[in-house]
Amino acid sequence: MIATLLANLLRFVMLLLVQVLVLDHLDMARGWMVPYLYVLILLMLPFELPAWGALLAGAFTGLVMDLFSNTPGMHMSACVVMMFARIHLLSLIAPREGYEYGMRPTLPRMGITWFVTYASLLILVHHLWLFFVEVHRFDSFFQTFLRALLSAAFTLALCLLTQFLTSRQERGRA
Amino acid sequence: MRDLFRFLFRIRNTLLFLALLGISSVLLYNGNTHHRAEAISSSNAIAGTLFSWRKDITDYANLKEVNQRLVAENANWRNRHSSAYAPVEDLFVRINDTIRRQQYSYLPAKVVNSTWHKPRNFITLDKGSANGLHDDMGVIGPNGIVGVIRDVNAHFASVISVLNPDVKTSVKVRRTGHFGLLYWDTNNPVTSSVVDIPKHARVHAGDTVVTMGGDGIFPADVPVGMVLSVENPPGRQDQAITVHLFEDMTRSGFVYVVNDLQRAERDTLEKEHEAP
Repeated sequence: MIATLLANLLRFVMLLLVQVLVLDHLDMARGWMVPYLYVLILLMLPFELPAWGALLAGAFTGLVMDLFSNTPGMHMSACVVMMFARIHLLSLIAPREGYEYGMRPTLPRMGITWFVTYASLLILVHHLWLFFVEVHRFDSFFQTFLRALLSAAFTLALCLLTQFLTSRQERGRA
Repeated sequence: MRDLFRFLFRIRNTLLFLALLGISSVLLYNGNTHHRAEAISSSNAIAGTLFSWRKDITDYANLKEVNQRLVAENANWRNRHSSAYAPVEDLFVRINDTIRRQQYSYLPAKVVNSTWHKPRNFITLDKGSANGLHDDMGVIGPNGIVGVIRDVNAHFASVISVLNPDVKTSVKVRRTGHFGLLYWDTNNPVTSSVVDIPKHARVHAGDTVVTMGGDGIFPADVPVGMVLSVENPPGRQDQAITVHLFEDMTRSGFVYVVNDLQRAERDTLEKEHEAP
């Protein structure tokens, strides 16, 4: 319990630092690809976390992200929407025998098919919400849509990369 | 009644979701405007400190280039008329003259964080209210305008970049004198639009656009950009003018904050007339 909490807190700090200090300053393809790797904090929260905890974790992470990017409420709303989608998605794509206690939504534990389905859907929800709230209008709909899609693909790639690079530790920590 | 409570308990997560979404919407609608945004902006102490650490590290990578630009700019200052001066201290310099009254003073500041590839861009400066900064002061770079201060704390200031549709600056075409508003809707960090210039104004590509002044934010005639293209879209009262910004917003290292010394006087006068 304590170990899980500490692992998640550590992940929170590390991923937010990477996001704020490095990724927010990447200028990939003139703003067409903006990665938001920090969503991995929320993606990797344990299954047994109650729904209210998941929602509050989403709100808090989004708020901290807003603090660093001068966008009050923007990341917060996107993260809350994503966590709400996660609650429902987890029950939709649960394995036949349910989630075991202590099982975590990581790539080595759940397999690549499950993880990519899970991560890509949630990242897509988060990014579409975020980018449309950010531009705050629908008149350049397809441009914003394409930006969200490209950015989501980039974020997913970074999430997979992070999982591959840290997978050994994950197995040991259980 | 009991059924109602049972029902509310069953949908408690949805209710929590809606409540959190409500809070974020309130933040979103109240926070992003010009003046408010007190706590959640990068001028707060934690974010500002973190960004200045980052800047301390990344500064080494382009010291050479920054030095070259500073040298060029110093030479430019030296060549100016004697009534112009370079800021020498970390506080606003005031010069007393019996013939002319100084209206603007400048304070150098370092950009510790900036974005330019997002739909709304902001800049964080390493000076704050301790150095006399307050909101609604203009920020100019060596080549042209950069933005307007939105929020300050003791040691940091958060600036709305000109690459942000939330800030509209009064500008004029230097050659013809027609004025309009600089409004960033091009989504491109090197260009911006000028709106509200009437169709009869003969503006051509190559004309220089400068600030209007008189708004208490920017002095008059600060360079803004050069007109790239002029179009007359049907159904609009004004021309669609695209300008190339003189200041390269993707690499603002040092900037100057403009302090209008007569601002307080003007504001009190205007408030007196507004009051009744």
